[in-house]
Amino acid sequence: MALIEIRGLTKDYGYQRGNFDVTLTIERGEFFGFVGTNGAGKTTLIRHLMGFLKADHGHARIDGLDCWADSAEIKRQVGYIPGEIAFPDAPTGSDFLKRQAELLKLTDMSYADALIEKLQLDPSANLKRMSKGMKQKTAIVAALMADSPILIMDEPTTGLDPLMRAEFVDLLNDERSKGKTIFMSSHMFDEVEDTCDTVAMIKEGSIIDVKSTLDIKHNENKVYKLEFASHDEYERFGAEPFTFEEKREDQNQVFVQVNDADIRPFLTALKGYQLKFMTEIKYTLEQYFKSLYERK
Amino acid sequence: MFSKAIFKQTLKSNGKLWLIFTAVMCIMSALIIGVFDPQMINTLMEAMKSTPMADMIGDQMDGAASLLGMLSQSFYSMQAVILSLIFVIMTANSLIAAQVDRGSMAYLLSTPTKRSTVVRTQATYLISAVFAMFLAVTVVGLASVQVFQGGIFTTAYTDDVKAVATQLDTTNEDVADHLTLILDDPQAIETGAEARNIDADVYTLYVTMKMTNNAYQAAADVLDVPLDDVTADPSLILDNDEALDAAAQVVGVTSEEYDLVLQQTIAQSRDQAAQMQQMQELILTGVSAAAQVLGVEVSDLVNDMGKIKASPEALDAAAAASSLPVDMFTQIINQQLASAQISLDEGIDFSVKDYLMLNLGAFLLMFAISGISFLFSCVFNLSKNSLALGAGIPVAFYIFQIMSQVGDSLSGFKYLSLNTLFNPTDITGGETYWWKFLTLGVVGVVLYVVGAKVFEKKDLPL
Repeated sequence: MALIEIRGLTKDYGYQRGNFDVTLTIERGEFFGFVGTNGAGKTTLIRHLMGFLKADHGHARIDGLDCWADSAEIKRQVGYIPGEIAFPDAPTGSDFLKRQAELLKLTDMSYADALIEKLQLDPSANLKRMSKGMKQKTAIVAALMADSPILIMDEPTTGLDPLMRAEFVDLLNDERSKGKTIFMSSHMFDEVEDTCDTVAMIKEGSIIDVKSTLDIKHNENKVYKLEFASHDEYERFGAEPFTFEEKREDQNQVFVQVNDADIRPFLTALKGYQLKFMTEIKYTLEQYFKSLYERK
Repeated sequence: MFSKAIFKQTLKSNGKLWLIFTAVMCIMSALIIGVFDPQMINTLMEAMKSTPMADMIGDQMDGAASLLGMLSQSFYSMQAVILSLIFVIMTANSLIAAQVDRGSMAYLLSTPTKRSTVVRTQATYLISAVFAMFLAVTVVGLASVQVFQGGIFTTAYTDDVKAVATQLDTTNEDVADHLTLILDDPQAIETGAEARNIDADVYTLYVTMKMTNNAYQAAADVLDVPLDDVTADPSLILDNDEALDAAAQVVGVTSEEYDLVLQQTIAQSRDQAAQMQQMQELILTGVSAAAQVLGVEVSDLVNDMGKIKASPEALDAAAAASSLPVDMFTQIINQQLASAQISLDEGIDFSVKDYLMLNLGAFLLMFAISGISFLFSCVFNLSKNSLALGAGIPVAFYIFQIMSQVGDSLSGFKYLSLNTLFNPTDITGGETYWWKFLTLGVVGVVLYVVGAKVFEKKDLPL
């Protein structure tokens, strides 16, 4: 049975805002990414999982428990990073973490301390005067410190600098080795591509596609960009029987689509030409979804 | 159902506000009790009677000459209500709506904590904060009464009793219990009169009246009826031997003797009652004549006939006009002055039960009002909306109550306000108020329960 199961979930706020007939299943140990533009309904779906919203139709279940009715019970297994950082009244970061630990009935703070060290967080700082990144790190520690098997995160890397973002991705990979399940939303494709196994794209409240990142990485149809030494060469290559994605005549450049199975004839053909350079254009999740997004 | 951890955190972030408001209220209550002086209030009221203010305040001032009456018309109608109202409005909003608005509620609810636990814990905090506030005010108030006025935990003694006790080298208690000690000793009378700042004749009359009152009180205690019943009909004492014994002991005579005295008194007052009407007209004629001589308003003189006594001319004029002998007119004046002294003593009288009820009533009112603020804090996700109704309605209630008191044409407003269910003068005036208290309690409970249910069921933007 799937660990997180969302079936036919609908919450209509009008003006095409909300969630419409969302159905997703996430297996135990899966890292699930969830991308979409601002206002696409990412946060609404996460609020349903956290039991903050009651769906109009359909349901969301975590480990067989209903997200609305058994919301408190579910939290024993879930760590949560909210999309907006708004801490309760507490003078310092440590005070805040202590009070969260109390609510979580957590007595052993050794894992929290390890996280603090890894994220280079100074928890003794005044909570209200912390920078955005510091606050986000505090929120990350608060969510991870209970070592919960499921992590639900709403745009967890906002406010982090690129170095810290890499550190965070590292942290998530540690969690993966512990067999945790992650459900995270993001508006950055490269981030989910780096961390997640499966990525869903949401647009105007509906899921438009669910894709495995492995499929993207191991795409057999590759695109190569070639630039020829002269215009003559360029013209001559145009007569070859390859699939051209694009031709740039003034720059003597072509984009050729080649399946891995046809790489040999392609290389053989290239032998007879004077090339300036040749590069492979990486196929990314972003490109995949962009094409999808424009089509729909 | 209730989370100690959340309560502790709420206390940490809201406790300071409670402390400030409670301290201010305690200080105010102590100050008002400390400066209370029945003589001053009486003078003030006399001064006000002839001004247009009197019409506005109307009969509200009637009870103000006693400490409780004054407290109920100042502190418990104004300061206590307004201060606790502000505290309740601020706290109720910060307990739920402000946390949802900011989003920090997400951290509470991302732990295995039920919404019902959160809302119940916050409600518990608000209710106990309001309760503790009035508890503190009550304790400080009782202590202030004891310190400034005396008479709660020890008996209050008037200045004359203290002076006489010093002179006779005995205890205050001894003198107060045996007022005959004063009457039997001309020197003691002089000392006591001086301490009270009145002349010896009036003082003698005062002590006699006081003694009669004490005797009636002793009898009333035995008969287990209110003092007023005995005062209205002293023959009640005659019907009960035990009561007679008790009363006689106070006056310092045998029961048989007191029996006689009492019968005489009853007969006398019966005669007097018959003449009363006629007598009063005569006195008024006399006072009018005296007023002309002194060149003051008649109304001023009626309440302070001491001025007539002070001027032989006025006294002569008054006696002549009323066709009463000078001695008799003087006697009447003395009687009036002595009863004025008695009512001054009553001003210091302090009923602990009424005081506790005053505080209980104020608490119940704020409990109901806090229910309103709490309900809207639970209903709305935005602080501004929660405050608009959670503060607006209680403030409107307060204003409606004030408006309903201004004039008869606006008295209908009292039905639009919860505040009218706590009327401090009901308590000091001896009217029934239990059903009003009960209503406040029920309204409060209903509002809190509805608020909690709404919070448990609504969508949260966290």
